[in-house]
Amino acid sequence: MLIEFKVNAKQYKMDVCPTMRLLDLLREELRLTGTKEGCGEGECGSCTVIMEGKAVNSCLVLAPQICGKEIITVEGLADDRELDLLQQKFMEHSAVECGFCTPGMLMSAKALLMKNPHPTDEEIRTAIAGNLCRCAGYSKIVAAIKDAADA
Amino acid sequence: MEYKYIGKPLPRPDAISKATGKAIYLDDIRIPGMLYAAILSPEYAHAKIINIDTSSAEKMPGVVKVVTGKDCCIRYGDNIADQTPMAVDKVRYAGEPVAAVVAETLEQANAAVEKIKVEYEPLLVYTDAREAMKEDAVLIHEHQEEYKRLPTLKCIPDTNVANYYRLIKGKGEEGFEEADVVVEGEFNYPIGSAAAMEPHGSIVWFKEDQSIECWSSSVCPFIIRQELAHTFDMPVSEVRVHIPEIGGSFGYKSDITVEITIAWIASFVPGRPVKWVATRREDFTSTLSGHGIRTFMKLGAKKNGKLVAIKSKILHSGGAFAETPVNVTITATHNSGGPYEYEHCFMEGYTVYTNTTPVGAFRGYGHPESQFATERLMDMLARKLDMDPFKFREVNYLREGSIVASGEKMWKTNGDVQAAAKKIQEAIFDGDKPEEDEDYYYGRGFAALSKAPKGATFSTKGCYMKMNIDGSVSINMGGAEQGQGLRTVVKQVAAEALQIPPEKIHCYTEIDTQFSPYEWQTIGSMFTVQGGRAVIRAANKLIAILKKTASQVLKADEDMLDYNGEYVYLRNDPSIKVAVKDLARGYITSDGITIGEIAQASADARLPRYSNPDPETGQGTLGVEYTFGAQGAQIRVEKKTGKVIVDHFASSFDIGRVINPLQARGTVLGGVLMGIGAALHEELIYDEQGHQKNPHYGRYRIPKMRDIPPKSTVDFIENPGAVGPYGARGIGEHPFLAVVPAILNAIYDATGIDFYEIPITPEKMKQALADRKENA
Repeated sequence: MLIEFKVNAKQYKMDVCPTMRLLDLLREELRLTGTKEGCGEGECGSCTVIMEGKAVNSCLVLAPQICGKEIITVEGLADDRELDLLQQKFMEHSAVECGFCTPGMLMSAKALLMKNPHPTDEEIRTAIAGNLCRCAGYSKIVAAIKDAADA
Repeated sequence: MEYKYIGKPLPRPDAISKATGKAIYLDDIRIPGMLYAAILSPEYAHAKIINIDTSSAEKMPGVVKVVTGKDCCIRYGDNIADQTPMAVDKVRYAGEPVAAVVAETLEQANAAVEKIKVEYEPLLVYTDAREAMKEDAVLIHEHQEEYKRLPTLKCIPDTNVANYYRLIKGKGEEGFEEADVVVEGEFNYPIGSAAAMEPHGSIVWFKEDQSIECWSSSVCPFIIRQELAHTFDMPVSEVRVHIPEIGGSFGYKSDITVEITIAWIASFVPGRPVKWVATRREDFTSTLSGHGIRTFMKLGAKKNGKLVAIKSKILHSGGAFAETPVNVTITATHNSGGPYEYEHCFMEGYTVYTNTTPVGAFRGYGHPESQFATERLMDMLARKLDMDPFKFREVNYLREGSIVASGEKMWKTNGDVQAAAKKIQEAIFDGDKPEEDEDYYYGRGFAALSKAPKGATFSTKGCYMKMNIDGSVSINMGGAEQGQGLRTVVKQVAAEALQIPPEKIHCYTEIDTQFSPYEWQTIGSMFTVQGGRAVIRAANKLIAILKKTASQVLKADEDMLDYNGEYVYLRNDPSIKVAVKDLARGYITSDGITIGEIAQASADARLPRYSNPDPETGQGTLGVEYTFGAQGAQIRVEKKTGKVIVDHFASSFDIGRVINPLQARGTVLGGVLMGIGAALHEELIYDEQGHQKNPHYGRYRIPKMRDIPPKSTVDFIENPGAVGPYGARGIGEHPFLAVVPAILNAIYDATGIDFYEIPITPEKMKQALADRKENA
């Protein structure tokens, strides 16, 4: 089926299989491999992207659901060589370790800050509650998000 | 000594590429002409294969080849060559590859693999070493004595015992005759999964030019290269292995895991690269698991609290193949004494075949499993002796001059466990604990720890260093970055050794065996120690080359020259100097003649005098580099729910020298949280038929953000070591080590209940509280 959508401010018109996951559309069709697959079951948050301003697990969204919608992926955060403040703060706080959960964490955090530029610690925790990190760098991730919000 | 770059919170060089989504992990790799594999797992965990019908699968759209293990005579393994790339005549665990489909797309491969029909004759299933060791047990490997194995390893023929290891120190078991007080217990550390966020996977390509190219999310490229070459009978030089970014390992991406299987599959479609990436389920069922260790332990002490003897028996439910668990068992055994000295030791370790996913490395490599028993028993023994548990431990800590179970002597440079214990005592035990109230019991617990790496006689790490024409330096090594931050360590150590700012030092990114210096594998918290030492040795060689060239330029003896990162200059007249950058390619004189050589150096470093165990006593230089530490927990047990809440967790380690405080602290906090997961909720559960019941994050619950203790204390002690760079010791695994006994000792303090196995789920806690009431 033919769908139209926007990814990282770029307009696309594509013929897709209706059962295709948004995750595969991004990774396989658009070659945006920054979005990671950790479980494929919506349990780890590694594949989080922003859809219409909300953080979603792209493994649970089917391609037809994005018709007419706007998606932001981790590749859409930095502007050319200028990092997004969140990326900068993740780096400063050593909140990136193996890095596999990082894109998902960043997108959950970005969705929060887009809606709520000055969240409380509790709101930050809630926003990334669905993102797993086996390196368990959660404290540093929360600190980085907090720092980005306060800046 | 003042350091310029050591001890500074330098940011990770790889943080930006990871945070922008540009870092390439295994699944992000696309190669033209690449095919996709889907692998069939068996219906049974232990069964004879009667027939495999692949005819329907072969007719499915997009299918290029259907592969089985029929006629496969490959047996591989570094320690015990008991593995096959695919089940041949029988299946031995429920995640074992039985057949595979190679297709143009992954969807096509997945659809076709379901069409393969396999007929089985089921056999008895053993998920626990105790069952598999019974006299009449069916053999999981019928002729294991025929497998090639290292000369130090011994199986018990006609049993399911794949290896028996024994260590004797002093009078062994007879040592208990000297004991006034004895405690004993049986402790179980169940099977778990490292469950890194990135599932494991590989790409293998049998190329037209008769070479093999492989990509894997593995920490052991050189073992893969060697094993592929050996298995497919070609020169090692014709196998090229790439390691992209690794999304976490914690041990289970070490050793050969899926690579030979993918190679076997790819060997049927020469000319086309074949990719396989585990689903989350397959990552649980078909890569490597962790732990599965039951420890029987007995400790004996004199009335004055001096330990005299230890007896331990490790029963390791190693899974269907022993290649990967065998060294975990051995390490668990000879380190089962923890950070204490005993005059007499009798320690036995059984690696037992079971019909479960093979166990491999998991953060701590046998230490957390057996020291769980040690640290619980130390508290129990203190109680029996009516001694303060800190004072009792102080009498027995390993210190300068002590001899560990394996016979190694401890030196001042091995660190100070007592100093670490004092820090925990101050952090957790200062003042009184809260009084029991309507809702909670409160408790505090302590545990000390020690860990040495499990090395190998050839476990070296290489470093190649070259200076560029602007005086900047590029470093190439074979160490696998898996989140631990080794690139930062390389940069900081090199900066210090070369006196060049880290911004001018480039650390390698991906590993490629075609270019990368040899490294055994990146395991055992060894990179900082060995890799860092290799960097310093290479730096010293490079500086020597610069001085040699400079001596010709400056017409002065080499030993009269000094180096400061920017210039080589005459010691007695620093105005006589030559810029380092002008020496990088040799020095070009004004008449165009070049003198000297290119400023490049290679070096390696291993654990000095690491040795095999003695066949009779099991002793040897088996550790070399120890890191000591202590951990403590302050907890609450919720009466209504049985939930254990960790309010404050404190860790202290003597890591010799902190290279990067930001990273070291992060490593500790991460390891502690992983340990809290092990103590309170992680367990990979098998049903009686040998199927995993919870192979997904929903039911194998790894710690989430809300599991972080509200208060964390991290403290480092710096008594420099003799081996590592600037005295640094390993710290990767250690923060995970004593979390379990610290929490369980705290649970006893809170409730008076002694637990002997983990995890302590709210249900188990509630039940234990109810039982306690009944028995009261």
